[in-house]
Amino acid sequence: MAMLKTVLANLLQPSRTRAPADMPPVPQTYRGALVHDAGRCTACGTCAFVCAPKAISFTQVPGISVSWHFFIGQCSFCGLCEQNCPTHAISLETAVPGVMNNAAGDGLRLESIIALKPCTRCGAAHVPLPESAMGSQWSEEEKGYCPECRRWAASAKLRSAFIPAETATPAASPALEGAGHD
Amino acid sequence: MSILSRVVAIARRKSPWICRLNAGSCNGCDIEITPLLSPRYDAEQLGIELHGTPKHADIVLISGTLTHRSRKAILDIYDQVPSPKAVVALGSCPASGNVFAGSPTVLNESLDTIVPVDVWVPGCPPRPQAILDGIARAAKLLEEGATRSQLARSLQGQQAQPQPQPAQPDLTQPELARCEQGRP
Repeated sequence: MAMLKTVLANLLQPSRTRAPADMPPVPQTYRGALVHDAGRCTACGTCAFVCAPKAISFTQVPGISVSWHFFIGQCSFCGLCEQNCPTHAISLETAVPGVMNNAAGDGLRLESIIALKPCTRCGAAHVPLPESAMGSQWSEEEKGYCPECRRWAASAKLRSAFIPAETATPAASPALEGAGHD
Repeated sequence: MSILSRVVAIARRKSPWICRLNAGSCNGCDIEITPLLSPRYDAEQLGIELHGTPKHADIVLISGTLTHRSRKAILDIYDQVPSPKAVVALGSCPASGNVFAGSPTVLNESLDTIVPVDVWVPGCPPRPQAILDGIARAAKLLEEGATRSQLARSLQGQQAQPQPQPAQPDLTQPELARCEQGRP
């Protein structure tokens, strides 16, 4: 009788074997396909540095763009790049990377291009920092500064914090000091 | 009629038998093949059967880093597989050497330079489902006659046909005649 019950119950169920494309649920921390967000990337190179099998690399076209390259055929899905990315530009999705036909070069490689922006103060091309990394300590105009100008602006702020405003006004107001990086 | 022809096409579909070749793998990919053949993932729903000898296989699964010692074995085993054949590369290692790249005993080249690879299954190791997907894809390529070895063969056939026709006899005959004339 018990057997009959089991047979009847199983008769109405779908097949328990899985179709090739039917993925079982995986945990949220599963390290699957790698995704790169060019809008958040600062091209700092940390991912390329920590990648043990050297799957990630950077190339640049001076003054125009920086490209992030990833070769999936060299990736061991360890997740070090995701852990070490300071701006969370790299994430490993739970989706499994797709099977590829005949892809010695093309399908196995990912590339994302990070466009350079001119600095709003000196005009030098630089990788813009994402909004989340800039925080609230920079004004709207300063957010477009290149790293050199940001350093200069930070030191100017520091100087005005130590030296009283009356003595500082004749020589060093940031706008008058011009385009030199000192 | 179209239904009948479809049924005939399905009935004539080949069961892709596989042969597994470990070229120097850490065994990660091979461990993932084992559940693939078990009832849980059930490779036999596609007619896939694992065979110990390459002479019975249609699809070769190659896993692992390519080493100097395994190169000859890969070529040897690939040659033993009867001719409509496909190659599936498992994991990252056959494509690049992965973390082992740069070792003096490891070939620093893609498997593609040794045998023509039809399907790459990325992952370290790939999930059993992904391997199954890869084998299914290779089987489809075999069915269509679109694996790289089959394409290369058909290309060779096309090149071989026109080659004998061009004016070879016209060139050689006067030569021969001249030789024969010159003989005492």
